[in-house]
Amino acid sequence: MDTSRQLHMTVYAALFAALTAVGAYLAIPIGPVPIVLQNLFVLLTGLLLGSRWGLAAVGIYLLAGACGLPVFAGGMGGIGRLIGPTGGYLLGYLPAVYLIGLISEKSDQRTVFDVLAMLCGSIIVYACGVTWLKVVSGMSWSKTLALGMYPFLIGDALKIAVAVPIAKALRPLIQVPKSRATISREDNSQPVTRK
Amino acid sequence: MAQLTAFSYRSGNSYAHALDVRIKLILLMLVSLAVMDAGPTALGVMSLCLMILVRYLHLPLKSVCVELRYFLILLALVFIARSLSTAGDPLIVWKWLTISREGMKAGAVVVWRIMLVVLVGLTFVATTRPTEIKAAVEWFLKPVPLIPRARIGTMIGLVLRFIPLIFTQAGETLDAQRARAVEHRKNPYYRLTKFVIPFFRRTFETADKLAVAMEARCYSENRTNPQFSARRRDFMVLAVCAVFCCLIFLF
Repeated sequence: MDTSRQLHMTVYAALFAALTAVGAYLAIPIGPVPIVLQNLFVLLTGLLLGSRWGLAAVGIYLLAGACGLPVFAGGMGGIGRLIGPTGGYLLGYLPAVYLIGLISEKSDQRTVFDVLAMLCGSIIVYACGVTWLKVVSGMSWSKTLALGMYPFLIGDALKIAVAVPIAKALRPLIQVPKSRATISREDNSQPVTRK
Repeated sequence: MAQLTAFSYRSGNSYAHALDVRIKLILLMLVSLAVMDAGPTALGVMSLCLMILVRYLHLPLKSVCVELRYFLILLALVFIARSLSTAGDPLIVWKWLTISREGMKAGAVVVWRIMLVVLVGLTFVATTRPTEIKAAVEWFLKPVPLIPRARIGTMIGLVLRFIPLIFTQAGETLDAQRARAVEHRKNPYYRLTKFVIPFFRRTFETADKLAVAMEARCYSENRTNPQFSARRRDFMVLAVCAVFCCLIFLF
């Protein structure tokens, strides 16, 4: 990967971290876990940036939050959030984004696989988040699931549905580094137009 | 988007400019942690201190408000969502919507906190050069092995730059939609796609331009960082602030 490509990806990763932070501002508190747009951007990060740079973007986001910058849900920040009851969801973004990126890279960006990747990602986020919520708050499994997962499933389905067209529209703009063969094939089939 | 915004460094030789950047970063962390724990009294004291600081630095509050207008709309939404969703003593009941006294209070405190953190961040960004932010983040990451420190420093600096930019982009896209009479369209799906796609396009083009500009200026990760020097008064500021934050945590 040449330096120019790397610089572009650095800027894009920072942009996605910022977008995730913006998505976290509008938090609707409906219990211990608020509804946020944050995870839509995490899904998009995985799809658009791929595994490595997606991981970097989410890592930067979490680091900025741990430093106390107001990037977590509802304009919160601080290391206390990461180890607090909802910290599992935040840390779960890391493996989730990696997996989403990996699947979408391997599957040649077909819609079915994108949806599958995002489903897997969401499952990982909930696995980490709900387990951590249960450990920290000491609630029973059924209550933890009722507070930390069931209310969000419809929203998540919507977010996945929204992420697919966005990813489709933005992929030609970003051009994540792929293997040489894929790049040359894409260049022949659909030239990228820029203003 | 290349024009000077309120969220950029303003040169000056005030005391806040001269403060060691590492100390400033610690202060930023301390204050944003303390704000989340503060009640109305502590928030009042902090707002007063911050207002004095903003006056002293001659930050243009008016243009900041103009630039933050979209963010203020978002804050209003946060306030409404909080006051609707918090249960308690009902104040206004309209059909199935209930606005409770507790909800109003909780909403106001949350909005106040976010506003304060944003203002603290603004004063930080206004008195610190981006290279200094990058260098300070790098300095703090020194004990952590096996990570590209310089790149992380740059990226944190970029994130700070991008957040206000995204709000401005979203607002401008909304304005552009309104100019094209999107209100006449009732279909929410149509409105959403016609907002989301151009918004992302614009944001990415801005990021792309930024990357090209950095490249054109021969950006490289291994450059000499500015030197830090913490003096006695820097530590005194830190101590005063730490005591204040401890008081907030304790009460």
